[in-house]
Amino acid sequence: MSRTSFFSSINEIRNAGQYQRSRLKMGILFTLPAVIILLAVLAYPIISSFILSFQDVRLAAGGIVTEFVGLDNYMRIFQDAAFRNAFNNSIYFTFVEVIAVTILSLGLALLLNHPIGRPAIYRVILLIPWALAPVANAVLWKWIYNANYGVLNAIVVGLGLSETGVVWLGSPFLALNMILIADVWKAIPFITLLLLAGLQNIPRHLYKAALMDGATTWQQFVHVTLPGLRTTLIISIVLQSIWALKVFDLVFVLTKGGPADGTVLLNFLSWRVTFNYLNIGYGAAIADVLFVLMLLLALAYIRALRPRTSARK
Amino acid sequence: MNKNLSKVIIQIFLISFVFLALGPILWAVVTSFLPLSSLTAKPIDLDPTKFTLTNYVEVLDTSRGLMSGLINSMIIATFTSAVALTVGSAAAYALARLSLPGSNAILLSILATQMFPGIVIAIPLFIVMSRLGMIDTHLGLMFVYLSFVLPIVIWILKGFFESIPIQLEKAAAIDGATNTQTFRYIILPISLPPLFATGVFAFIESWNEFFFAIILTRINVKTAPIAISEFAGQYRTLYGQMLASAVLASLPVVILAIIFRRFILEGFVEGAVKS
Amino acid sequence: MNRKTRKYLSRRDFLKLGAAGAGTLAASNLIMWLSGCTQGGAGEQVTLNVLTPAAPDPAPPGVAEFSMDAFAQWQEDNNAKVVYESPPWPQLHDKMATNFASGQHVHDCMYNCGWVPEFSEQLVPFVDDLPQELMDDLPASSFSTVTWNGERLGVIFTLSLLTLFYNTEHLAEAGITAPPKTWDELKGFAEEMTKDGRYGWVLNYGAPEGIGGVTSYWMVFLQQAGGTMWDDAGMPAFNTSAGVDALQFMIDLMPFTDPGSISYVGINDATNVFTAGQASMMMNWPFMWVPAQDPETSKIVGKVDTAVLPAGSAGTASIDGTDAYTIAKTSPEPELTKKLIEFYLDKEVQKRQVIDTGWLPIRLSVLNDPEVQAAATNAKAVLEQANAPYDSFVTPDYNEVTDTMGREIQKALQGTVSAADTMATCEQLVTDIVKQRTG
Repeated sequence: MSRTSFFSSINEIRNAGQYQRSRLKMGILFTLPAVIILLAVLAYPIISSFILSFQDVRLAAGGIVTEFVGLDNYMRIFQDAAFRNAFNNSIYFTFVEVIAVTILSLGLALLLNHPIGRPAIYRVILLIPWALAPVANAVLWKWIYNANYGVLNAIVVGLGLSETGVVWLGSPFLALNMILIADVWKAIPFITLLLLAGLQNIPRHLYKAALMDGATTWQQFVHVTLPGLRTTLIISIVLQSIWALKVFDLVFVLTKGGPADGTVLLNFLSWRVTFNYLNIGYGAAIADVLFVLMLLLALAYIRALRPRTSARK
Repeated sequence: MNKNLSKVIIQIFLISFVFLALGPILWAVVTSFLPLSSLTAKPIDLDPTKFTLTNYVEVLDTSRGLMSGLINSMIIATFTSAVALTVGSAAAYALARLSLPGSNAILLSILATQMFPGIVIAIPLFIVMSRLGMIDTHLGLMFVYLSFVLPIVIWILKGFFESIPIQLEKAAAIDGATNTQTFRYIILPISLPPLFATGVFAFIESWNEFFFAIILTRINVKTAPIAISEFAGQYRTLYGQMLASAVLASLPVVILAIIFRRFILEGFVEGAVKS
Repeated sequence: MNRKTRKYLSRRDFLKLGAAGAGTLAASNLIMWLSGCTQGGAGEQVTLNVLTPAAPDPAPPGVAEFSMDAFAQWQEDNNAKVVYESPPWPQLHDKMATNFASGQHVHDCMYNCGWVPEFSEQLVPFVDDLPQELMDDLPASSFSTVTWNGERLGVIFTLSLLTLFYNTEHLAEAGITAPPKTWDELKGFAEEMTKDGRYGWVLNYGAPEGIGGVTSYWMVFLQQAGGTMWDDAGMPAFNTSAGVDALQFMIDLMPFTDPGSISYVGINDATNVFTAGQASMMMNWPFMWVPAQDPETSKIVGKVDTAVLPAGSAGTASIDGTDAYTIAKTSPEPELTKKLIEFYLDKEVQKRQVIDTGWLPIRLSVLNDPEVQAAATNAKAVLEQANAPYDSFVTPDYNEVTDTMGREIQKALQGTVSAADTMATCEQLVTDIVKQRTG
């Protein structure tokens, strides 16, 4: 928000009448608890980790010892092959996951919104993958993907698609995609639920009007459904991008970043450097870069697909 | 398109959905009933006579802490989702309708807290919480989870509140309703599907969260995910027991979903718009 | 009427309820916190906080079920209460790092596995104060991985060295009467036994770092080829013919190694393949003897045996599992904690440790006890292995070094880089890491 518009709205408020002032008071009252909680819990850690990223941090007797090193950690990032690798992996992973999840969830939401898909049983089934603890989920998929006794290979060999089965987590690119599949599977329920709620929010009479104008199913979808889902879709995409960039459990349990760093994602790299190598300053720098990346991404989405604040006609 | 054909296609898609969604889960359940020697055999030995309950028996042994883990998770998840919905829906409404100055900046900052990889705030957060004596407490974990869950709740609900036709609120204002009354009696009742979606989200996220649960608890507030992960050791992973405990830990969420299924069922907008 | 709709219509009521609930929780937590603060008062019961893995990973009495009566007795005799925190194994290191970074006293005694040099500044050098009788009964070389800068900071409590595990039935089928004694024999046997969908060798090459990761396995072969990791200045000394030969040997074994090996992250993944009879030989820890003999987990009960690892050009060698107990510098009760560790190392407790949980004792007298040898038939092979070198080359950057080298070794195992090039690259990378630490 620009400076001039901020001050002009302050003036607006001063000149506003009773109604506007009470609205403003209500607005602040409604927002305050949330802001307070967020600040209280996260302000210090976030600021602290920014500060740490400009320092060389070592474990020492009685705690940590910090030494200001300016931009050294950030400079190191740009020369670090491991970072470049993690960065590429993360971009690929996020891109594919967001597309896959959005399309599949949209299809699923449409399916569950259809009269045939209405029974509650389907929604309960939808929730089950989501309800599974991520730790258990990771171990389950590791179990399924096991090259020797995993059920996926049992199916593949049983169907005659392969003689000896595939080492799913054995080659870098394949392993990355298998993790992708496991994460997409886990991510779909929530986005579907979100889109479903969004679908139900679209007024029925719009469909009736379109039908009366002679629109086909496809045209109804493009001209009524999609615009109606616009905000929800944007939120889904932004959230899914953020979550895809924060994937950790699956990498940790299934491959520990291997083989040969093929499945190292940025969040995992940050953990490895912070907790495994105890290079807390560098780990903080990586995390901050990740943060900036997500921020830019979110801003780009929102700007490119700027939603109107009032309901569309 | 032929109506019957489209019905068949839809049925096929639905069945595929059920299979793909439940497939892995079914495999987890089967695994939990078999001993390891059957599961590592090639081909997999699904002999029904080998089905055994020992995994479940061993998992429910109190030394494993699964029951207390479930209770702790239940407490934390319930409180977190309840408070998140209350506080979050209010904030979302304010940001959607009550034209606060700088609401875009606030919104972006709220979302920005989500973007911070938790890994790196873990150490400073631990230091703060241990100085406040909130390590290994329910309250401590709840506050931390609230901070993770609130941004999403606010963002999603804001989107929904914005898409509610403004005529509704204008009508209420004309009838003399205050902002709070409009919020409570007009907006909230028709927002039940998204409210439920975000409520479930908050619940499940708090239920399943692992990394901070490990860092910020020690013995007393062991949550379900921690109890489950203990079966994956360095030298041995007790797959059958781990999946048994995972199945048990997922049950409460599934049961809650069944109880509250009505809320994900019908839309309430029709009635609201008509009136 | 269900709770969720209600609260929206009477938010104030709910807020009241929530506040009351939160208040109660806060109060109870406050009380617990306050009571937790009052420890170590004069003559009062002392609380010792111990961080250990959860069973079946190596755990002390109270976490693992053995010597429970003796443990209760010890607590009574010493007016102490021992409180265990047993997070899942992968989180042990993270928790310790976080606790140390906060500078607060969290634990008195911690289990350590290869992290002693890394955390050396946070640990008490208590070993020199242990009773002579105990010290005489412990193998001197077991202290090499828990010593840093001349200070001995921990005690290994279980003799855990990698030895050869092999399937006797597969060997007999191939007409082999004795386990392989040399590298050539190992390779030859593995080749012969790779048939019918089975493989001669399996190991978890999927995890790059740590004890039990692919780099540590290479270190076994490195020592067997007569090489070493570090020179006297602490710089890499492994880019020699020994290092290259060791890696080359692993590469040569690949055609007879279960192809899933590159994806097995944990030792148990590889063990599962072995105990299902899908692989004929592997390296494994003594503890694995237990699941191999359990019909619930193993299909080869009675068909498995263990022996000393095959010798390279310099003889046989192995690595130490380095499961040790250490004391935190922040502990207000170092003396009592030391006594607790002495209890864990008590002869009777060590005996029960092996008989009840399968983790071998470290005390030489207990290892040589006929009762123990009868109960743990694999002890003999491990004892024999202990006569040869078993250095794990642990340094403060052990994690980073093994992780970095592990990546390169994985590339070599997949055939994308030659052994010689890999060793050269590793030397350069590891030198950088060490220079970063030493400045």
